[in-house]
Amino acid sequence: MNQNFLFQASNISKYYGQNIGCKNVSLDINPGEVLGIVGESGSGKSTLLNCIYGNLEVDEGDIFLNDKSKTILNFTKISEPKLRSIQRSDLAFVHQNPRDGLRMNISAGGNIGERLMAIGHRNYGEIREIAANWLEKVEIDVNRIDDKPSTFSGGMQQRLQIARNLVTRPRLIFMDEPTGGLDVSVQAKILDLLRNLVRELGIAAVIVTHDLAVVRLLADRIIVMQNGNVIEAGLCDQVLDDPQHKYSQLLVSSVLQV
Amino acid sequence: MNEMSKNENLDIQIYNFAYLDENTKRMIRRALLKALCIPGYQVPFSSREMPMPYGWGTGGIQVTSACLIPKDILKVIDQGADDTTNAVSIRKFFQKTANVAVTEKTSDASLIQTRHRIPETKLKEKQILVYQVPIPEPLRFLEPRETETRKMHALSEYGLMYVKLYEDIAKHGHIETAYAYPVKTNGNYVTDPSPIPKFDNPKMNNSPAIQLFGAGREQRIYAIPPYTNVKSLDFEDYPFEAMKANFKCSICGSSDSYLDEIIVSDDGKRSYICSDTDYCKEQTKLNSKKED
Repeated sequence: MNQNFLFQASNISKYYGQNIGCKNVSLDINPGEVLGIVGESGSGKSTLLNCIYGNLEVDEGDIFLNDKSKTILNFTKISEPKLRSIQRSDLAFVHQNPRDGLRMNISAGGNIGERLMAIGHRNYGEIREIAANWLEKVEIDVNRIDDKPSTFSGGMQQRLQIARNLVTRPRLIFMDEPTGGLDVSVQAKILDLLRNLVRELGIAAVIVTHDLAVVRLLADRIIVMQNGNVIEAGLCDQVLDDPQHKYSQLLVSSVLQV
Repeated sequence: MNEMSKNENLDIQIYNFAYLDENTKRMIRRALLKALCIPGYQVPFSSREMPMPYGWGTGGIQVTSACLIPKDILKVIDQGADDTTNAVSIRKFFQKTANVAVTEKTSDASLIQTRHRIPETKLKEKQILVYQVPIPEPLRFLEPRETETRKMHALSEYGLMYVKLYEDIAKHGHIETAYAYPVKTNGNYVTDPSPIPKFDNPKMNNSPAIQLFGAGREQRIYAIPPYTNVKSLDFEDYPFEAMKANFKCSICGSSDSYLDEIIVSDDGKRSYICSDTDYCKEQTKLNSKKED
């Protein structure tokens, strides 16, 4: 087994009664690596993401995180307080709809500062300075620091959500359709931003999307899912340029060309 | 006339001592003991219908009822005053149902039920202070899900509480929260001190008296045992400040007690008087002695 992995899921399964959420999925992520999960609606992408983030309890299998002190933690075995503290520090989760990931009635600065305050920052001046820095990093005007996200455009809200998640420098970030529901030019901007931040900070990421262009741009490796099963996995360019499985071929060939 | 007084005597016999039946009092005392063992933790209890509307102190009354013994001396205050509607009616209620002695003097009372204030006179050991609490959950307006707030308390995830203070400073330049200012009890649970002015917060810290909190509508009891550390939340660069109006009481001249602002004329003239009526009387007495 590769001892330098950051995150590993082995043979995890999740059932919703008789229905399969995802079945026998294994994946591992190395530090700084971006993994894309693609597949059609209902193929189990989001279930898998929520399982490996620890939001959903898995029915079978184990999930390991190699934490900062090089201790290997098993998500299915650790206590809830421990899991929640890891979710706050080592991990981050970007929702498709920024309304799910932001506090809409709290200013942009407060939104970015929340994770800092949660891990013990108690100096207002410092928190505000860090928040302003992050607004700059995600290209939001610093003058908007005291405005509520409800006054922001969709793209700005999504960038704010990214800033809010990255402020504590997590080592692994989970993203569920981060550019879904945004228009194409805004998508491009966010993807560009994500690519820079992920590379610059050396953060590993798992990106769930049905948009192959997104994984082409961001991901190092991808897995393709159908009906809760992984049907193909490999280097991003390899899978997209030379898909082996029938369904992957269909997926790649059904992308609209302009 | 004779008929009426007969009925009044009858009332006292019909009601159990201090209105509630013994089983209910037992249930509340259990909740109180649990609350005292885990300072600041909100203990659920099965709150009873009381002969008054929610919001009038039904939680405080139930706690008082469970604590009262015949030799208690009861004081009831509302916004610091002994002579306001809420205080008068609750005091009469216990005079009628428990036949206990009552007083307005803070130092004579063995049990004080209060709404929105802590008496200015320093409390002593063997005194009990019962607070009427409208909303026991300090995180309520930040996180509406009770399942989630309970988890946040259990795991001491209080980042969100600081977000509220952060928002205050961002909006107003200082911590604007002036009442129900959140405290951390015994270094553990974040607690709502009920809507007392933040001026009173320091009085909760290390108090020799027992502090009990009852929320009737919300069905929660919590407590701060004597000599417990109670710290108001703040930022390193924006420390907690106990605030009051910067005037003197126009009756007793005191400058260190919490003041009520009163508009005394149609053209908006203001006057400030102590909100604690007992303290104001004491100070006036002391002043006249000095003059003699």
